[in-house]
Amino acid sequence: MPEALGLKVTVFYVGSSLLAPLRAAEREITRAYKVELKVAAYNFGAPLDEDEWASVERDLADSSVVFVLHVTDGANAARLVPLLERCASRTGATVVINCMPDLMRRTRMGRLRFGGRRDDPNALGGEGGSERDEQGASRARRIVSRVGGWMAAQARGREGARKNHAQYLRYVERLPALLRLVPGAGRVGDFKHYLQLFCYFLQPTPANVRAMLLYALKHYAHDERLARARVAPPETMPAVAIYHPDAPALFDSFEKYRKWHGARARKSKLAPLDPVSTVGLLLMRPQIVSRTTKHYDGLIRAVEQEGLAVLPAISTFMDNREACEKFFVDGARQSRVSQIVSLTGFSFVGGPAMNDSEAAVQFLKGLNVPYRSVVSLDVQSVEAWRESWTGLNPVQAGMQVAIPEIDGATEPFVFGGMSRQESEPLPLGDRCRRIARRLKRWQRLQTAPRADVKLALVLFCFPPDKGNVGTAAELDVFASVWEMLRRLEAEGYDVEVPQDADELRERLLRDEEGYGAAARVEYRMGADEYRALCPHVAEIEKDWGRAPGGINSFGGDLLIQGLRLGKVFVGVQPTFGYEGDPMKMLMARGGAPHHGFAAFYSFVEKVFGADAVVHVGTHGALEFMPGKQLGMSDECWSDRLIGELPHLYAYSVNNPSEGSIARRRSYAELISYLTPPVEDAGVYRDLAGLKELLLAYRQTADDAERARLFDSIEARAAALHFD
Amino acid sequence: MNEAERRDLTSEGRDRRVRELSERVAEIEQRLIPTGLHVFGRATSDGECADLLRMVASFDRPDAGSRALPRLISEGLGASVSHPRTGASGEDQLRTRERVEAILREAISIFLREGETAACSWLESEANVGREASRPTFALLGEVRSRLRTNGELDSLVAALRGRYVEPGPGADIVQNPKVLPTGRNTHAVNPYGVPSDLAFARARHVVELLLERHVRERGALPRAMALVLWGLDNIKTQGEGVAQALWLLGVRPLRDSLNRVADVEPIPLGELGRPRIDVVMTVSGIFRDLFSPTVELLDRAVRRVAALDEPEEMNFVRGNVAAQAESGSCAFDEAATRVFSNAPGNYGANVNFMVADSVWEQDDALADLFVTRKCFAYGTDARGRRVEGREARAAMRRALSRVEATYQNIDSFEIGITDVDHYFEYLGGVSKAVEKSAEARPAIYLSDTLSREAKVRSLAETVRLETRAKTLNPKWYEGMLRHGYRGVAEIESRVTNTFGWSATADAVDGWVYTEVAETFVLDDVMLARLRALNPHSARALVGRLLEAAGRGFWQAEADVIERLREIFSELEDRIEGVA
Repeated sequence: MPEALGLKVTVFYVGSSLLAPLRAAEREITRAYKVELKVAAYNFGAPLDEDEWASVERDLADSSVVFVLHVTDGANAARLVPLLERCASRTGATVVINCMPDLMRRTRMGRLRFGGRRDDPNALGGEGGSERDEQGASRARRIVSRVGGWMAAQARGREGARKNHAQYLRYVERLPALLRLVPGAGRVGDFKHYLQLFCYFLQPTPANVRAMLLYALKHYAHDERLARARVAPPETMPAVAIYHPDAPALFDSFEKYRKWHGARARKSKLAPLDPVSTVGLLLMRPQIVSRTTKHYDGLIRAVEQEGLAVLPAISTFMDNREACEKFFVDGARQSRVSQIVSLTGFSFVGGPAMNDSEAAVQFLKGLNVPYRSVVSLDVQSVEAWRESWTGLNPVQAGMQVAIPEIDGATEPFVFGGMSRQESEPLPLGDRCRRIARRLKRWQRLQTAPRADVKLALVLFCFPPDKGNVGTAAELDVFASVWEMLRRLEAEGYDVEVPQDADELRERLLRDEEGYGAAARVEYRMGADEYRALCPHVAEIEKDWGRAPGGINSFGGDLLIQGLRLGKVFVGVQPTFGYEGDPMKMLMARGGAPHHGFAAFYSFVEKVFGADAVVHVGTHGALEFMPGKQLGMSDECWSDRLIGELPHLYAYSVNNPSEGSIARRRSYAELISYLTPPVEDAGVYRDLAGLKELLLAYRQTADDAERARLFDSIEARAAALHFD
Repeated sequence: MNEAERRDLTSEGRDRRVRELSERVAEIEQRLIPTGLHVFGRATSDGECADLLRMVASFDRPDAGSRALPRLISEGLGASVSHPRTGASGEDQLRTRERVEAILREAISIFLREGETAACSWLESEANVGREASRPTFALLGEVRSRLRTNGELDSLVAALRGRYVEPGPGADIVQNPKVLPTGRNTHAVNPYGVPSDLAFARARHVVELLLERHVRERGALPRAMALVLWGLDNIKTQGEGVAQALWLLGVRPLRDSLNRVADVEPIPLGELGRPRIDVVMTVSGIFRDLFSPTVELLDRAVRRVAALDEPEEMNFVRGNVAAQAESGSCAFDEAATRVFSNAPGNYGANVNFMVADSVWEQDDALADLFVTRKCFAYGTDARGRRVEGREARAAMRRALSRVEATYQNIDSFEIGITDVDHYFEYLGGVSKAVEKSAEARPAIYLSDTLSREAKVRSLAETVRLETRAKTLNPKWYEGMLRHGYRGVAEIESRVTNTFGWSATADAVDGWVYTEVAETFVLDDVMLARLRALNPHSARALVGRLLEAAGRGFWQAEADVIERLREIFSELEDRIEGVA
């Protein structure tokens, strides 16, 4: 019996859905065909470092087949192209699917070459038709050229990619059937093989991924042991559907899901699919197809745990409207969900390569429910994220946070991701719980009688001084809060509205008990109570000493500044606390908020029992508290302090940068406010006089008069300190 | 100008001086300033928006298909000038500008009174501007005006509180991007992979030329190294003009990948660049670092690429400086080429503003040290291709700063000026102080003003004077603020403290500024009484700040002035004690 020789397949891919099926395929093919198959897999979602590139080179050197799947990152692609070129002669086949044009042209399968002009989508069809081509071949080329054109357009992020998406899907559905008509030899045969692999790739079920590797090895690895392998035709999955981890199969209609869900809800006492308590989830199709859904399942269960129902729809990647339209909207165009959470990490319309935010906003406005986009760590490990103070890496920050925000997405939580030792993403339990609880709190805001809702309006005071209560860029805060209170009263919230803004200010600033605080003290929180309410006291004490400490404290208690007006608390946020303390200011990293700061938010959430916080004006300190830059964990202070409270933030429209920090690090939804009226500065006092003199000089022809005026001009200019 | 100089002037010399002063007065006069504070939910009246609309109309807006009215008007006037212009003199140019300005003003007021059609017709008859040419601009103004007349902020707030979808919207000055209206939306940032946009890169070239010309004029040669402050604020609003300016200084252009994302840079050949590559030390805000993390990597890569180019050192200052730095610090190329610095990961701010506001520094060194301590964390990629996420690199930063001859920050807003907020002196002032210590010489300090009709580069001292004259000392500004009572006094005090910050960090405030502030707000009994009644705490802080300016030697005040300020300060103290 011959010794089992090794076979290697190197795969460059993006995302978190392929690794698990690839590993499974590696095991199964090895077992079934007595080959020692080794699959070297590289996630190209983020740039590789030098050590990783060295390992890429080693793997490419002895690979039978190389797959490059869906790679659109410029830096990695630029480095890969010459490496592929170098190993082309040794490798049995290089299969490039759905990548950028530079990479597509590196496809080498037998006699198949993709070449031609870069911008001609049809160039993907091959080297031009010769008259000797058989009918099947030209038919194959037509299909290739159409599918290829779409792929090329998609790789370039062109408009056409989306427009032709539906048509493309139809081709793809017909492709396996058509391919049977195509002969399997010669260049035409290589076309056929390419398309066959393409069909497997499009539906990356574990069986299809295994078949994709096997098919490629059978035809291009020239290994006798695989020559007679029978490769199953591609299995197909619906393009849009509803998924649930407890269901035996996908649902192709809302009705079927409703029926199944109803029976289950009755049996296990779960929330019914009532629009007011149902959360619509958007899931990535490849994860479902490849059955790498543990992170989805974790979030789904966490949401159900909070007494909300879920409607998890598989999205179509390029355009979420299709899935939303089909499952989230009923016949009367009413929404079946009260909140939407996208787990796709991409823009709502346009997929990974582009975003049509206008279309997205139009659609979401129609549904008029909050839209969240949460992040799965697909191109960095959970460990790397946990260890890093940066949090999300640049690729994820750009693609999965900055772009969805343009569609109006909020609360960019990390909910799961790939661990270093795992081949599929797992949920992050505490993050899923926090997301779910926040959804629940938002649902209360949506449904509770307004008169029962408690709100905290929080003002700033910087630098800490009685003269500065209500600090905010360009905003008259007291007048603004007073307007808010009036409106809240009119809406039916239980609020006592002072007579005018002045009365509001006077009452808020009145230090009745003589604490020497900047504002009125609403509550004295004893140190014991503080310890009971705030779970982080021990950590804070490392930085700020024993509670209550010296800031916002009085006689062993922490002072909460503010004024209760019915069910509305108008509070004053403490400052960072290290102003005035050069040693603390010099601390380069880390740190914690001081006791008074933590006590303030403990009060708001747990003593006052707010249902939501509104911060008034640009800007406070909460969102700048130490922690990760983006993709917060339970160790980040802004996450800890805002907790589960829905958070709105009245923010100046001309400050998108600091506002974004508030949205990302403290889950704020910004409500932009106008900048004040502006006018020409004009001229005043001596400056007006100078202007007149200058005009007079210019209008006079008389030399003596000009000389006299000039002296006056110089005198006036000197008085105005003009040099 | 002294007596003798004045006597020696020819009549042409006098004319030139008058024109120059006229232009400086016009610069102040035409600067847009806020005339109050916004009240959440309150709409803007027509009377309040005329000057804003005029400014909105002063820019080409290709996306709205509209052109700048001043340009249309000058073209129209040029075409209608009946007699050939015999070498337009400075006076003629000035007059033409004034005429254009007057026509523009009238056109806007007709628009507000009688509407779009009337304004178009009037412009056609008065300035020979075709109706079709001006119509898109007035259509845009009509839209802006109607969106200012209603205000949906409170509606949005209560809808959001009821868990409805809040529409996203861009963030910027209205003049820069009228699409920020309506407000009441969830302001978003930008896709960092789109930065810098092609337009931003094109516009940055001009500003960099102005900047370098200005420096050559001041110091006689190009700066071998500059320190730039990069913020998220202007780079979001302009799609990366600040970033593009850094790239131009280095002499590289951005490259886009097949998805149209800015993914790399390539050096602009020296022949094409036509000048040496300037070394650039970038201190980026924590916010920029967070919002533009791919851009941070791009900037770091740009420096390393340029430092490694095989070019003569007199044409590639980066290469020269990195080599010298590697030698003097006996460190590797990798370390010596570190140029992108920010806060420690997860931390924000240089805190120089806190130290200044709380008066807790004794020597200048304290401010410089604080800046370096907070901002000396390197970001980018190391030689092994691994991401550097905020490695403490104090020595590398000091060495890089020690070669800096000029500091600079891009400003693209008149809504947020350098004495409106404390962050400008915290950053630009902080880095300038740090350069002064490391290089043992005070750098030239510049700011651009890119949201004017014509982009300008000014020195810090000039900018402080302009802000002081247009805002701080201007009754239109402070009376506008005082209409808001208590908050208005706090605004005045905060502006004085921010001005003081420029003394503390850069010694860039003329003594007369403090004299005038004292006379306007404190030594005028009526004004003092108003401030005291509205907000005694802020009034006290303001007087205290003036005394501190004198105490620290930023202001050589007359002894009797100081005496009077001291009296007023203690009166205010007593009053506050009595109240408390």
